[in-house]
Amino acid sequence: MKRNWTRKLIGGLSFTSAMFVFQACYGTPQDFGLDILIEGQVKSKATGLPVKGIKVSVEENMQYDFTNEDGKFSFYTEPVNSLKIKFEDVDFAQYGTFVNKDTIPAIADKRVYLNIALDTK
Amino acid sequence: MPLGDFLTALDTLESKSENFIVVLTGGEPLLRNDIEICGREIRSRGVRWSMVTNGYLYNEQKHVSLLNAGLGALTISLDGLENTHNWLRNKKDSFSKVDRAIDLAASSSRLNFDVVTCVNSRNWQELPALYDYLIQKKVKAWRLFTIVPIGRAKDNPELFLTDLQFKELMDFISEKRKLKLLDVKFSCEGYVGQYEQKVRDQPFFCRAGINIGSILIDGSISACPNIDRSFSQGNIYQDNFAEIWENNYQAFRDRSWTKRGQCAECADYTDCRGNGLHNWHENKENVLICHNEKIERITK
Repeated sequence: MKRNWTRKLIGGLSFTSAMFVFQACYGTPQDFGLDILIEGQVKSKATGLPVKGIKVSVEENMQYDFTNEDGKFSFYTEPVNSLKIKFEDVDFAQYGTFVNKDTIPAIADKRVYLNIALDTK
Repeated sequence: MPLGDFLTALDTLESKSENFIVVLTGGEPLLRNDIEICGREIRSRGVRWSMVTNGYLYNEQKHVSLLNAGLGALTISLDGLENTHNWLRNKKDSFSKVDRAIDLAASSSRLNFDVVTCVNSRNWQELPALYDYLIQKKVKAWRLFTIVPIGRAKDNPELFLTDLQFKELMDFISEKRKLKLLDVKFSCEGYVGQYEQKVRDQPFFCRAGINIGSILIDGSISACPNIDRSFSQGNIYQDNFAEIWENNYQAFRDRSWTKRGQCAECADYTDCRGNGLHNWHENKENVLICHNEKIERITK
């Protein structure tokens, strides 16, 4: 009985972490979980190799990420209708030159993984 | 605190509810260079995270990187109009920085965010102007609290409201809530008697140790971080956090010990239960502040 009670407590636990010197904290509003994880990998269609430095952004949203050495990217964003993800080569040939691409992924879950192949210019 | 130490403690909790959230606070969380890594690690465990910040380092790049890392809720501290905010923060550009942070947070429909203001005798008269400022900034929620005379604050009388000022703060919140232009509320810091239904959504109850736990910088396990360190229930460097949460916290879950000092004969004790637990310090012989008493001294 006591265990069930404590489990319920843990179920509702709001865990406040003071990672630095404490001043004062009274928590934050609730997060309603209104986001999904967009992640994936960008490769060159010609070589099949990962492409670094591609800007991955969300249309009509200020969020963006850049692909890393493995061509990978990852970010949480709002799951709006017709979420358009844009892939842009913005590094002026530093890692090759590629044609920009947009995609509207099907969102059936809280996580979307995209494999993107970019054409060489 | 190294991130790994915190995550080890977090991982001791086997089951967590949908509403479970990790709140990163401080100090100032944005002083950590790895704040986005912290957020992503928390999210990778299926847990949401949020943050309390003074906004000084919250620029556009940081806003984007935090959203990318799954930040879902945010509280920004604003302590007055420009001169007053800069005075309290002791930095001449603090207001311009927090103003930028508020703009960025308000621009995001993803973030559920609010502004908190620590009301003191210097900013008390600025509240109407601050209210207009926040509406103009498209802020949706504003939490107001006052300072408890602990730590460095207890030696600075400028930080405390008189009884009359406190009562007028309650009137201010009450009046603004009626307008429904901004979700203004009094914080969870204390019981306010006749104003309970007027200044917040739910009746006062200090949730410390009930559904709020914390890990402080030294690893100590407690509830809200502003609660006296003598309430510490253990330390993650010696104890299993989940076991402490399940088996300790008696002082938080049985509040009968607070029926002492001026609370012993108080007619409002059933509703108040000893006020916020951060108001019990040192020998705990009496509550540090009775908010309701401040109001009653003016109204009776």
